[in-house]
Amino acid sequence: MNATTLLEPFRHDFMLQAFAAGGLVAAVCAVLSCYLVLRGWSLMGDAVSHAVLPGIVIAYIAGLPLGLGAFASGLLCATGTGWIKRHTRVKEDTVMGVVFTGLFAVGLVLHVRTPSELHLDHILFGNLLGIEPGQLRQTAILSTIVLVVVLTLRRTLLLAAFDPSHARALGFPLRTLDTLLLALLALAIVASIQAVGIVLVIAMLVTPGATAFLLVRRFDAMLAVAAGGAVASTFLGVYVSFFADASTAACIVLVQALGFVAALCLAPRGGLLRRPRQTASSPA
Amino acid sequence: MLQPFSYDYMLTALWVSTLIGAVCGLLSGFITLKGWSLMGDALSHAVVPGVALAYLAGLPFALGAFTSGLLAAAAMSFVKLKTPVREDAVIGVVFTAFFACGILLISLFPAQLDLKSIIFGNILAIAPGDVLQLVAISAVCVAVLALQWRDLLLFSFDPNQARALGLPVRRLHLTLLFLLSATTVAALQAVGAILVVAMLITPGATAYLLTDRFGRMLLLGSALGAITAFAGAYASYFLDGATGGCIVVLQTAGFFLAFVFGPKHGLLAARRANRRLCLVRPSLEP
Repeated sequence: MNATTLLEPFRHDFMLQAFAAGGLVAAVCAVLSCYLVLRGWSLMGDAVSHAVLPGIVIAYIAGLPLGLGAFASGLLCATGTGWIKRHTRVKEDTVMGVVFTGLFAVGLVLHVRTPSELHLDHILFGNLLGIEPGQLRQTAILSTIVLVVVLTLRRTLLLAAFDPSHARALGFPLRTLDTLLLALLALAIVASIQAVGIVLVIAMLVTPGATAFLLVRRFDAMLAVAAGGAVASTFLGVYVSFFADASTAACIVLVQALGFVAALCLAPRGGLLRRPRQTASSPA
Repeated sequence: MLQPFSYDYMLTALWVSTLIGAVCGLLSGFITLKGWSLMGDALSHAVVPGVALAYLAGLPFALGAFTSGLLAAAAMSFVKLKTPVREDAVIGVVFTAFFACGILLISLFPAQLDLKSIIFGNILAIAPGDVLQLVAISAVCVAVLALQWRDLLLFSFDPNQARALGLPVRRLHLTLLFLLSATTVAALQAVGAILVVAMLITPGATAYLLTDRFGRMLLLGSALGAITAFAGAYASYFLDGATGGCIVVLQTAGFFLAFVFGPKHGLLAARRANRRLCLVRPSLEP
């Protein structure tokens, strides 16, 4: 394989767009994943991403922007779960499971009932290589909004995620901060649908944060490592999928997972292949 | 209205769905109490590469699914043991990696593997060999539950007390994990990988809102699972085959009815009780 073949992916416009969109989405999801991993909200990414389906289908039927519908139903799932949780004795994770599968099933039935141009495959697994300029613009705008808000409020959000009771004691509006984080999560998922689809975006919302958590101790460093690693693995995943002629989203997620395995083995503290200097300490 | 019953494939789909619904409903009581919803969701996604490989190699799908589910569970407990990362994040990392492997395989061999039937199930076109596998899985699960339900109950409800009473907690944990994987594999055929978790928690959660006795909760969950699966499969005849979607929509509707109108723990009942309390003791804030 010579240099021309290796550079082949960079000569196509659709590949360049895929790199741009994938990189953006990866960075945004990675930054959010740091908060979700600390907060113990990994299931939340799972739930909200599934729950956007009925919103997309209903928005399509009503002729509204699909992103709006997706955002609304994603947020409905997150806030609805919280509301039901406060009014019943069923455990929170169960309530969440009931709500998001219910919403997803409604979306599925609606989709089957509505003859439409909506490709379920593209919603579920993304269509990064076929992304259109309009969608790329939407992804760029949404990603920028989320990134700016998160980075501006990163200290406050960190305290709320890391030690909710301390945050409450200090007088932070915890409920508002949680809702804000959920809204940002829903926005990030809407931005990612086109790139990786609602099923594999869950990986982008967990794996980078978990990987970075293994590698570094300081939160700012964790944000940087997560975002950098996620963007790099997305580039690599898109690049590999070009040659393997395989699902782009799956390649991205697998490269990220390999990154996690590498961190697991080689982390400076507690890596499996390192000589144990001390026992792995509990989360700092 | 009776038209669905005149087709052999519909009759098969109806009774197989009902059976799977009943078995999943039975187990869902334990899963709900144990708080293993994320685990159910994770396993149902993690079995996909096993199913894909089994179909490619011409092996029974249940074998591949089961192996892959257990591998994922082992990977999760290994990573959890070795790192300070929270359990939910570990589960998320592992199951998405497995699921991505499955999607990769399906995208590499599109001719041999049908993405839709793995992701959404395809009970209307189930092969006779697969029916046999499902019946065997269901029989094993019911037998294990019948023999062990009391121990499993205590373990799900309060593992510490179970340990204090000298129950083999480790073995019960593995038994429940085994049952969960087995029912996941069975439910995969009916509703597909994404919606399996609903079959495994919604009936149990609904029953939990309706009764305070555990034995009754198990039977109620099982009955709810069976009825909704039957009705969903029936409705899907008129809805172009979205069997999984129909079943889960019905189950969720059942949960909401119980949540609002439940005789003791429902929203309206709680409001009434609250008002009575305020009448009795007017000094209390409502």
